[in-house]
Amino acid sequence: MAKIVAIIGWAFVGGATRYGLGVALPIVAGFPWATVIVNLVGSGLLAWLSHAETLTAKWPNALTVGLGVGGLGAFTTFSTFGLDTVRLLDQQSWRLAGLYIAVSLIGGLVMSGLGVWCARRWWHFPVAEV
Amino acid sequence: MMAVVAGLGAAIGALGRYGVTRLVQRVYGNYWPLATLLINWLGCALLGGLTGWQVGHLMTVLIGTGVLGGFTTFSTFSHEVVMLADQRRFGAVLGYVSLSVGGGLLLAAGGLWLGLHLH
Repeated sequence: MAKIVAIIGWAFVGGATRYGLGVALPIVAGFPWATVIVNLVGSGLLAWLSHAETLTAKWPNALTVGLGVGGLGAFTTFSTFGLDTVRLLDQQSWRLAGLYIAVSLIGGLVMSGLGVWCARRWWHFPVAEV
Repeated sequence: MMAVVAGLGAAIGALGRYGVTRLVQRVYGNYWPLATLLINWLGCALLGGLTGWQVGHLMTVLIGTGVLGGFTTFSTFSHEVVMLADQRRFGAVLGYVSLSVGGGLLLAAGGLWLGLHLH
């Protein structure tokens, strides 16, 4: 039950933040920057959170699930990525569509890898007990 | 105000994703990330349909940005790809990425077409 509440609460924050960034970062030259930034930042943070065990072990499990499944899961989005790409293809903006897919995919994987690497590297160091 | 609408929708979507993930993993297991693939496919198809149907601004933010944006996820997708690569399962990496992107685009386009023609 605590997990459900945490997912609802953090998903609210994640979804509202994604909407806010979408309004704040308008589409420049037909390129949906807001979605790219949201997906790259969220990918890095989720990967880091999933492997930062020495930190998350100190929290209730519901907080980790809430932040990961709820917050970062809802912050990032695959459906908008898919539809944006279809729109660009429909406008025959081949280069933009290719760039959007490449930046999202490669960027997302690099950020994810970086998140895992950071968490694992950080995990090797003894953390001072608070 | 619209941010609250998007947030409420995203809470519903994320809860749905959590439920579907648990169900698929119970039935299928989690050796291959089938749950996220199905979730992202369904979300792409529905967002395409919603966009084709040309609903108003409130419904676009509530269902599109909120529910479907919160239901689908890019962060779990990329993390799962990195984990498959970490396990040196490069065939699974290739399959998962191409099915997610190729299928997602086809379903979004199909949904868009269906929404436009049924409207």
